[in-house]
Amino acid sequence: MMIDFLHEYLNLTGSRLGCGQGVCHACVLIHDREDGTSEEIRTCITGAHFFGGKTIRTVEGLARRNDKGEVVELSAVQQAFLTHYSFQCGYCTPGFVNAATVLVEKLKREPVEKDKVEETITEALNEHICRCTGYVRYFEAVKDVVLSTPGLVKGGK
Amino acid sequence: MMVRFKNTMLKLALAGLIGAALVGCGASSQGSANAEVPASAEQVARGRYLARAGDCAACHTAKDGAPFAGGYPLHTPFGTIHGTNITPDKEHGIGGWSSDDFYLAMTDGVTPDHRLYPAMPYTSYRAMKREDSDAIYAYLMAQKPVAQPNLENGLSFPFNIRAGLWFWQALFVEDKQPDVSAGSSASWQRGRYVSNVLGHCAECHTPRKFSGQMDFSRQLQGNTLDRIGAPDITPEGLAARGWTLKDLNAFFATGLAPQGSAYGEMYPVVHLSTQHLSKSDLSAMSTYLLGDKPPAPQPVRPVAADAAELQAGRQVCTAVCAGCHGGQGEGKPHVAVAMKGNSTVRLKDARNLIVATLDGIEE
Ligand code: FES
Ligand code: FES
Repeated sequence: MMIDFLHEYLNLTGSRLGCGQGVCHACVLIHDREDGTSEEIRTCITGAHFFGGKTIRTVEGLARRNDKGEVVELSAVQQAFLTHYSFQCGYCTPGFVNAATVLVEKLKREPVEKDKVEETITEALNEHICRCTGYVRYFEAVKDVVLSTPGLVKGGK
Repeated sequence: MMVRFKNTMLKLALAGLIGAALVGCGASSQGSANAEVPASAEQVARGRYLARAGDCAACHTAKDGAPFAGGYPLHTPFGTIHGTNITPDKEHGIGGWSSDDFYLAMTDGVTPDHRLYPAMPYTSYRAMKREDSDAIYAYLMAQKPVAQPNLENGLSFPFNIRAGLWFWQALFVEDKQPDVSAGSSASWQRGRYVSNVLGHCAECHTPRKFSGQMDFSRQLQGNTLDRIGAPDITPEGLAARGWTLKDLNAFFATGLAPQGSAYGEMYPVVHLSTQHLSKSDLSAMSTYLLGDKPPAPQPVRPVAADAAELQAGRQVCTAVCAGCHGGQGEGKPHVAVAMKGNSTVRLKDARNLIVATLDGIEE
């Protein structure tokens, strides 16, 4: 499975193996399609071969790094999760980061009405499971990013 | 041609009689509704069981709605029809109906107010025993009345004119459905009643003709519904996909069998109806569907297909299916059903497999 390939061959251990059977979504990576849209794919149930020739991002690729490869700035989503104390043990976090990243990028292309923001976030994060019940703070953090990033919401600021 | 004509004339005459009976009922039901003999607890319990066997809730309870208060949308080729309120509410429900009215609605599709669209399976319930209709009536009358108005149906002209139903009913409502299996045992007989009448299997599994009537010459041979189709459930159709009596029983009782799980429109059938039925009724249904002498289940045979295509398919399968369904399609207990020997995979028409892959299966 792709998660084994990421962990064992590439030493990219950020994606988490939670349930191993496609339920918890801790293991998702981001697949960037050719048409500019993206989707989450669970790496625990998807073979590595599936990704041959495809463009993907794992959680390691979201923060800004300098030429030495050191992280110099977290992405807005990552920062918001820290600011809001969104997670406790953090096992589910890479999945949530990817889900929220896909959502924010989608809203850049297709902004939503202000009154649709909450249900849009719920829908985007819905499949992700957190044992430590961090949902509310995850939700608030994503809402914060969505409302404070210009251009994601129609009719609002 | 002659036979057909005679048949039709008979039915027209019959419909006329029903019409006359309806006028009579309409006049008397006002007074008689309250004069019904009160139902015994036993009758209500029996009614509850029968209402489940008839799967009333599937169409008369909306998602997150009050039980039996209606509002569930049924999409038909003629437009959208909504399940109605069948709680004992006097204004919006059936609170003003007598048990005679109820029986007439169940078996003739005629209510004190109008004729029913055949989305209501009176075409199957037609042979319902009077005492069973009365028990369901007693059960429904014992429910909490819900003052929920019925939704407008989204039918296009001319189907929105109910008067046309007179003709439809006169022409297409048959007293008895043909048997697809042979049998005579008590279980088979009971199964005929549970499957054809209460469970109204044919309503989905029998193809329909131009005017929406069931094509009884192809009874239970499978039908295309919304996106997912209802497969062939004749004894031969079932055996061709490996079904046995034991596996059918397990499927009805739990929604799960070695041949796969209940999904699409069949999910609510198991969830709301069959899982609540007695072992003997389930086994009667299976016996009726397969016959007293079930045909031997067919083994899986290798398919003939282009080698390159097979190889490409194998690669996709290994990459995106095997994670849950197993490297050899053997499935994973409590996670995903086996694809090897799967009833849907074995269907001649790949439609359901493709739709399930594209849309996923509602959890
Ligand atoms: S580990 Fe992949 S979904 Fe849970
Ligand atoms: S923070 Fe522990 S599982 Fe989500």
